[in-house]
Amino acid sequence: MKEVAGYIPDIGEEEFQWKVLQFGDLEVEIPLLTEEQMNLVIETVKKGSEEILKSLTISEIVTIIDRVTDRLLDRNSSYRQKAEKLLPIVTGYDEEMIRLGLTSYLKSFRKHELQRFLVEDLSNPLLLDDFQPRVKGGFSKAVGPDLITHIWAGNVPALPLWSFVSGLLVKAGNIGKVSSGEPLFASWFAHLLVEVEPRLANCFAVVWWKGGDVERETSLFRQSDIVIGYGGNHSLESLQSRIPVTTRFLPFGHKISFGLVLHSALDSQKAWRTAHQAALDVVRYDQQGCYSPHLFYVQTGGNVSPKEFARYMARELENFSKRYPRRKLSMEESASLTSWRQKEEMSLFSNQNKEVLGDSANHWTVVYEEEKGVFAPSPLNRVIRVIAFEKVEDIVPSMKPYRSFLQTVGMAASPKELFQCAEILGRIGVTRITALGRMTSPEPGWHHDGRFNITDLVQMVDIESSAEEASERFAPYED
Amino acid sequence: MNQQQDIIKNLTTFIENKSSTDGDFNDLALQIFAYQYQHNLPYQAFCRQKGKTPRLVKTWKDIPFVPINAFKEVPLSCTDPEDAEAVFMTSGTTKGIRGKHYHPTLEIYDLSMTANFKERFMKETENIRIGVLFPTEKEMPNSSLAHYLALAVQEFGTEDSHYLLNESGLDMDRLLGELTQAEETGEPYALLGASYSFVHLFEELEKVGKTFSLPKGSRILDTGGYKNQSKELELNEFYQLLSTFLGVDRRTCINMYGVTELSTQFYDDGNDVVPSVKSGPHWIKTRVINPLSGEEVEKGERGVLVHCDLANFNSVTTILTEDLGVQNDDGFLLLGRVKGAEARGCSIAVEEFIDFTRGSAK
Repeated sequence: MKEVAGYIPDIGEEEFQWKVLQFGDLEVEIPLLTEEQMNLVIETVKKGSEEILKSLTISEIVTIIDRVTDRLLDRNSSYRQKAEKLLPIVTGYDEEMIRLGLTSYLKSFRKHELQRFLVEDLSNPLLLDDFQPRVKGGFSKAVGPDLITHIWAGNVPALPLWSFVSGLLVKAGNIGKVSSGEPLFASWFAHLLVEVEPRLANCFAVVWWKGGDVERETSLFRQSDIVIGYGGNHSLESLQSRIPVTTRFLPFGHKISFGLVLHSALDSQKAWRTAHQAALDVVRYDQQGCYSPHLFYVQTGGNVSPKEFARYMARELENFSKRYPRRKLSMEESASLTSWRQKEEMSLFSNQNKEVLGDSANHWTVVYEEEKGVFAPSPLNRVIRVIAFEKVEDIVPSMKPYRSFLQTVGMAASPKELFQCAEILGRIGVTRITALGRMTSPEPGWHHDGRFNITDLVQMVDIESSAEEASERFAPYED
Repeated sequence: MNQQQDIIKNLTTFIENKSSTDGDFNDLALQIFAYQYQHNLPYQAFCRQKGKTPRLVKTWKDIPFVPINAFKEVPLSCTDPEDAEAVFMTSGTTKGIRGKHYHPTLEIYDLSMTANFKERFMKETENIRIGVLFPTEKEMPNSSLAHYLALAVQEFGTEDSHYLLNESGLDMDRLLGELTQAEETGEPYALLGASYSFVHLFEELEKVGKTFSLPKGSRILDTGGYKNQSKELELNEFYQLLSTFLGVDRRTCINMYGVTELSTQFYDDGNDVVPSVKSGPHWIKTRVINPLSGEEVEKGERGVLVHCDLANFNSVTTILTEDLGVQNDDGFLLLGRVKGAEARGCSIAVEEFIDFTRGSAK
């Protein structure tokens, strides 16, 4: 089976070198541009942004993206069918999980959600079209850059959409580098955009090169206004070292998210559902997302004890492992997962209150413990730690040193507790608090890692009231 | 204590008897497992968690394997660690913690080492002049490799054998002297040491523009890889340089594969072809497994190595390594370390987190 990835605008050339990425029986071919070709792409995309995208209104752009999303949500459309067929092969995730995940994810890119997304950041989306009057006097406009370069990473399907769509909304030219773990979705999205609106043909490119190619990256970054990078701190640091000060760098590093279950959610009636939702967050994309939980803190004092809750979760994970089996793991992943679990089992000796639950084939593991000071990542792939605690204040100190890594907290608590905890968590670096079961589906308009998706990409241009007033004197109709 | 002495006695007989059968291996392995289950309490707890007791374990393949990094977590010993004759520690650390391997007596370790070393490295030769590219036992009292090399010199070295390191690294004057002497007298010479020390040696010899042609019967033993102590060379390049600089046949360049957590080493039969096939003596057996299921993979497929070393009578015989390998008819091919799994998505990987923790601890 073969599939072509990437999207190259019209640069007057059609001869490319091709790189083949192998996923089992599936061969994905992606163009590998020469430096000259890359420079032509940069030039073309910048021009496309200036001549086409910047001439469209924001409402026109929203409509285009909405139509693309519609096609991707339609299970009869050819792209959707391709996505459902090929993404499980490329990423290894279960078909059904991908199907559900895609739908829930794509819903965020429909017209009304996009509008919310814009209003959230800009309050008045027309700022992207025209100078808008300001309350204090004067006028402002939000101007998008000519070129945004996106360095996408990872294999969570369709993840590049957030930044790609944000780039389009600010009318920027976009060049996206896909990861070799999931090179397809962004490519299809680009092709679909052009099918829906052929005028966009030269406004973006989706490419690939081997990460760390110093010459290529230095040259591209020098010509970009903004570089958005996803990845671990090591790769982000190496990207940063190639970005001139005149280019803005927006890094999105790897994160740790966790769950927080207070005893109000642990009465005998509600606990099962709480555990079910928590397990769902673990199962979705096998915890590979930045918003996926590594551990769950569970409060004592409820009808259901934290230890029982850990067992509930084990049961739920066992059920899910039949319905949505885990991705097939590489030898490296298998080895590190096993060695992690064995090490935990070894420590049972010195820690009598600890429990390690798991099936013999290692499809999932739940470690229960009462040591509140443990704040450590899970090896992922359905491995979770449940830690009992009494007061939220007790667990906070162990997370504090990791401020830069904290992101989502999935919470089960009463309204009053929710806000109290939010206050504490926000102070130590958490940027998103959501319901259990929703950890992997951020709402449209969320502040990714606490930042502004749109605002961070634009430059505000102010016409101060003095200029406006002064100009009156020079009007031809001035008496 | 009698039990321990029994086991030592049985082991000694087993090691010395080259015609021991698989059945004998199995019997002794199960005897040692029962002993360890009884006296090594952290291991007992671990086995119980796995639902495996001496009553249920019928063959050596069923003996629960312990991950190699467990030696960092708990003391794995059937006797009081305080009374150990030797404690070998790993060089690699996690958060500053080193794995510890307790030996109540070195009797078995030494027997295992010498019998195997004789067979695989010395062969027909009784004694040879040895140069060691590694610190002495006195300098590194907790290094199993330092003990191993000291034993090699003591048991198999001629009186003129020397350690060839000083405070600043290689003692080049002495080394050049030794190599020249060997070349001039035609007396076979053995150079033993850490792989990275040989890389330093190449660099030094390159600097002074010297190559040697060691006499027939000379041999090299390297071990341990580079451990960030030197440039990383490809296996092929490494053995090519050894043969170029020292004039020894690649077939007499032996690589020893051993870890602190075991009491027996593996050797190859030279490195004319790399990666070379490694194998051990009859008192250690290796399985190549799929780590998730613990089942053996098909012959010829990649998996993780599990060693069952009967000489590990005091700690745990059966250990899950972090080494990837493939089984073949004569032994196994080492395919390197299992690297920490990389993050596939945007969630943090354990390795990256540890790096950060280390960085912030500095």
